[in-house]
Amino acid sequence: MTSLQFLWVVAVAQGVLLVALIILIILNRWFRVRRSARLQPRRQELNAVMQRWAMGQASAAEVERALARLPVPLAIDALVTSSARVPGERWQDLSRVLANQWWTRVVRTNNRSARWWKRLECARFLSVAATPHDIGRVLRLLRDHHPAVQIAAATTLERLTSPVLVTAALDRLPLLGPTVQAYYASALKRARPAVVRHLQQLLRRPEDPRLPRLIEFAGRLEHADLREPFTALATHRDPEVRSQVARALGKYPHAESIAALRLLAQDRVWAVRAQVVRSLGMIADPATVPLVRDALRDGEWWVRLRAGLALTRFGAAGRNVLLAVEVGAHPPSRDMARLVLGLTPQALAEYAA
Amino acid sequence: MSSVIHGGDLAILLYFLVLNSFYALLLVLSIPEIWEQTRLAEDEDFQRLMQSDALPPITILVPAHNESATIEASVTAILTLEYRSFEIIVVNDGSKDDTLERLRHAFDLYEVPRTYPETIATKALQALYRSRTRTRLLVIDKENGGKADSLNAAINASRFPLVIAVDADTLIEPDALLRLTRPFLLGHQIAAVGGTVRVANGCTVKDGRVIDARVPRRFLPGVQVVEYLRAFLFGRLGWNRLGGSLVISGAFGLFRKEYLHAIGGYRRTSIVEDLDLVVRLHRYLRQRKIRYEIPFIPDPVAWTEVPESGRILSRQRERWHRGLVAAMWQYKGMLFNPRYGRVGLIAMPFFTFGEMLAPLIEVVGYVITAGGLLLGAVNANFALLFVLVAWGYGMLLSLWAVVLEEVSFRRYRRFGDLLRLIIYATLENFGYRQRTVWWRLKAFWSVFRQKHAWGEMVRKGFETAGKQVVEPAKARRTDAQR
Repeated sequence: MTSLQFLWVVAVAQGVLLVALIILIILNRWFRVRRSARLQPRRQELNAVMQRWAMGQASAAEVERALARLPVPLAIDALVTSSARVPGERWQDLSRVLANQWWTRVVRTNNRSARWWKRLECARFLSVAATPHDIGRVLRLLRDHHPAVQIAAATTLERLTSPVLVTAALDRLPLLGPTVQAYYASALKRARPAVVRHLQQLLRRPEDPRLPRLIEFAGRLEHADLREPFTALATHRDPEVRSQVARALGKYPHAESIAALRLLAQDRVWAVRAQVVRSLGMIADPATVPLVRDALRDGEWWVRLRAGLALTRFGAAGRNVLLAVEVGAHPPSRDMARLVLGLTPQALAEYAA
Repeated sequence: MSSVIHGGDLAILLYFLVLNSFYALLLVLSIPEIWEQTRLAEDEDFQRLMQSDALPPITILVPAHNESATIEASVTAILTLEYRSFEIIVVNDGSKDDTLERLRHAFDLYEVPRTYPETIATKALQALYRSRTRTRLLVIDKENGGKADSLNAAINASRFPLVIAVDADTLIEPDALLRLTRPFLLGHQIAAVGGTVRVANGCTVKDGRVIDARVPRRFLPGVQVVEYLRAFLFGRLGWNRLGGSLVISGAFGLFRKEYLHAIGGYRRTSIVEDLDLVVRLHRYLRQRKIRYEIPFIPDPVAWTEVPESGRILSRQRERWHRGLVAAMWQYKGMLFNPRYGRVGLIAMPFFTFGEMLAPLIEVVGYVITAGGLLLGAVNANFALLFVLVAWGYGMLLSLWAVVLEEVSFRRYRRFGDLLRLIIYATLENFGYRQRTVWWRLKAFWSVFRQKHAWGEMVRKGFETAGKQVVEPAKARRTDAQR
């Protein structure tokens, strides 16, 4: 074959491909328009049945029949969208009815699929229609490597009360990416009693590398039973642990918390000291004003800023300290006091956030 | 002479084969990528995530220089984005018009003291303002120092770990921020994320939102719709699988702030600051062996106005190419350097030989072919067929971008718009492509003369698409498509 002939072959192939692409584009649009027109009445029918069901005027079986007429992904979407509008008892009824349908059995088996979007579909379905028989499947999905599946599986914790799932989710929490971690934490906060029990055990393992993340999460729970393990960790050798302890203690106003914070105020790591003054400001015990005032002379700008902001939370006593420092002899603390006193209440509120 | 022409022809043929094979690879790689991205975009329950405290807080950086015509509408539109935790920092970069006054009046600004250290050096700040009506808004008034300097000033002031630079004339879709954070939600080690920029010309805009996406009837903005689709949906998606693109649009990209601090922020002397920033980011992270990704995700969308006149478009394209040439020269040490992994071995060579030198080689190809035809050293049928095949391949790539748009996001709902897209994709290679080659060639001459100017963009304002017409404003233009 000569080069000219070869080029002709390429040109003809290209021409065919071009025409095929144009036909594909037009056919795809036509097909989608038709499909959408076909499915729209079924969607509307499902919405109407769902609304009647929410008001107690339709049975779960009717909802199931309307769901079965839609493609599986659309049916799951509809379920997830409606989940927030309907009380839990009704969902349990629907879950029981759906458990016996062929399409839901197929969706359930997808928890072992090699394709992540199939597993996601399963997790999304279980997040609204899981029954106690699904605990094993949810456990598997909680341990999935794909974050989208993990997020959907964590949502199941709102529907299914199970200490096994809570424990598994809590064990996974420190190993997840920061945002998925935050999502898990918000889901776990709703299952508080089981979480607190398991956390108390986990916080007694000082060598556990997951400790900083667990303390961060435990701090958000603000549960009185967790204060004691925190104070015990104030002398931990990992600065990240000490920093998280200092931060968490701000939410536990107690004499022992203040004692631990006094100890941490001498920490050699500035990030820990900054968290200490922040927490002292949150507790706002007048006896700690001198400690926060001393932090205004800290060598680190951020500690001084946190100290200045903390003083504004002590009311008149803190303000008087700032006014005195503003005309004092120490230039860095003087500048910081001036800066903080110049902030508007709104700016202060934003810093506190 | 004949052997020189034959040699030249062979070299160009080889270049053509290698480059187009690479484009074919990008084309193939874009298929699983768009499949996966579309699945994620459709399946994620964004409303649920929005109600949780899982979203990372974001600082939106808005540099503004003489943006009086659009600043109020832009900031208002940004303030109404669907995102739980964000702040906006508008930097008035020594505007000579009443940009600051407009902001002051619209948002009831009051002066506040500075409460943060200057991590990256910038031109002197005149004042900082907060709004009495919008707590998320911070306005910095500073001496004129250029866009990069403004962005650096905003980075210094930002409180949150993620920052996004947005042009004051860019319209962000309400859920775009939420979508843009998806890679962070998915837990990857993300250094930056790029979203899609689309052409707003011809669209109906109301209250700072594109409410009806249309393909412009005029050829020049219309053909740019196809260019943007090709650049974003096909090119960058393919690059996701190859280790990340070198470009995240300056008009719409989310960055991890700690890395921006580490590399000293935007470089003030660069011609195209977004390209320069991403290349430096790659270099920094590779040198320190930090695991990272810089992905592009197609569903977060920002809309921007593109030039409608050839004169302004030529300036824009010439500047883009000038920036590319300057950046490739500046970071030539990364080229074919295994220390930089796939960035040094794939991305840099592609951008140098496939993008930067492409116009030069295309013109040399035309000249050699014409010379060969005159001297009878080249078969006329072969030459003509070769040129047609080359153009046909360009058409294929453009049509593929339209296919990707159709199977995924389908923003252009009307059948007429779809037909226009197909027509523009087909006609792009006849005349328009050659004009862009000429504009890009001029960039080499400008680099040679060390010309360092932005050029000006006459902007009509978005409301033109609706009923109102905003007074034309002269403003610096950033690169949406880059």
